[in-house]
Amino acid sequence: MVEITRSFEIEVEAIDADHRQLVEIINEITQAIDDGRAGECADLVPNFVEFSQQHFAREEALLTKHAYPLAEKHRQHHVGLTDKMKNIQALSERAADSQPAADALRKELVFILMDDVINEDLAFKSFLMKAEARDTSGDDAGS
Amino acid sequence: MQGLHMVGVRHAYGKTQVLNDISLTVPAGELVCLLGPSGCGKTTLLRIAAGMERLQTGSVTIDEVIVAAPNVQLPPEERQIGFMFQDYALFPHLTVFENVAFGLFRQDRQTARARALEVLEQVGMTQHAEKHPHLLSGGQQQRVALARALAPKPRLVLLDEPFAGLDTTMRARVRQQTLSVLKQTSVATLMVTHDPREAMYMADRIKVMGENGQILQSGRPQDIYYNPAEEYVARLFGPMNMIEGVAQDGSLASSFGPLAVGDAGNGQAVRVLIRSEGLILSHGGEQPGGTPVDVLSAHLLGDSSLVGFRVREGINSGAEFQARIPGAFDLTGRGQTWAHVDPAQVFPYPQKQ
Repeated sequence: MVEITRSFEIEVEAIDADHRQLVEIINEITQAIDDGRAGECADLVPNFVEFSQQHFAREEALLTKHAYPLAEKHRQHHVGLTDKMKNIQALSERAADSQPAADALRKELVFILMDDVINEDLAFKSFLMKAEARDTSGDDAGS
Repeated sequence: MQGLHMVGVRHAYGKTQVLNDISLTVPAGELVCLLGPSGCGKTTLLRIAAGMERLQTGSVTIDEVIVAAPNVQLPPEERQIGFMFQDYALFPHLTVFENVAFGLFRQDRQTARARALEVLEQVGMTQHAEKHPHLLSGGQQQRVALARALAPKPRLVLLDEPFAGLDTTMRARVRQQTLSVLKQTSVATLMVTHDPREAMYMADRIKVMGENGQILQSGRPQDIYYNPAEEYVARLFGPMNMIEGVAQDGSLASSFGPLAVGDAGNGQAVRVLIRSEGLILSHGGEQPGGTPVDVLSAHLLGDSSLVGFRVREGINSGAEFQARIPGAFDLTGRGQTWAHVDPAQVFPYPQKQ
């Protein structure tokens, strides 16, 4: 099972909550494979892809709001994940009939989440933490 | 999460920045390859993970234990890492068994002996346990080095160009054995290589490093090979054929027919790279979608041949290309030789205006 441990936390709740949700979906898929229900992957993987797209949109909005200098580069990175998302969808459709496809799907989901999504997000961790803290203190001062 | 996690690693030697914000994850049981040319910083990254180079910026976590961070620097011997280097680094005065048992000094003698024999069995070297390293072949020495790395049950294995000192035949065999043993042990493995084919064979995920100390692309071997994000990555796998021109309606006109140019706009300069194995040759009468060519040379490499040819007609008339075809090329083939392009091996790179 995958879990978001300390070293993978962005420490911005909106983003960490999204990452935890993605982990939940991955664990559901992994469980289905382990329980011999790999046929369900074809229904579950689109949830991962769809929620990832929602997460990317929320994140891009947050980075734009705070004028993150590398926001466009990060958006391009999200666009660059399209082929990987297509690949896991293709694997999910073959997972029921092919153990190698199921194994590859499990492996690729973990790499996409931990390496392509969260590691890339960690690049703006300190920037976003400071920006969010400024927002919060601004709100407090105004109240 | 079990495995290696490096975040935001930067490193400089004096004023020279060798690592530029590198992050990577190696889950337990997986093998990640850092692929790049000499001097790109990949060995420095490995040494930082090992603790042999002091971390300057970022963090390194192994199995959720922070081993390096701005205020943390665990010494190598406390990180539970197994190493395997190109030069094996076996102790010449110790036998194979003693070399493998060397790192088990914290265990009682009986337990250490049992564990050393267990890993020697795993790498198929039990019968050589009493020999000294100089009596072994390079491949056998490398298997002993792997056994020594795995004996203390490390949390992470680091491989630095581990097969570079072996001849071609031995290299293929030893890397297959090494991969098989690593997969059985379910340990996280980070490997450094400059050899793209070695990375393709070994890795669950490849991270291509550029000369600027950055990760240029991460992905499965097939992602890197079939969807190279930039020219630099495409060219890692050997010389490429190149056609340059101007995009029009989503394609570039060529003697091989229109070539897709991705998102290049009308009038934009574009460079299209074609792998040598992406050019397919055939003989005979007119072939739809093909262009007639004159063969200039053919070199048999064993399982494939490199064939040089010149295009006879169209916009690229007179231009020379190189095709890699399976097996021997039949120079006595009858009729005209034709060249076709495999669209999966064509990579367009729009040029900056």
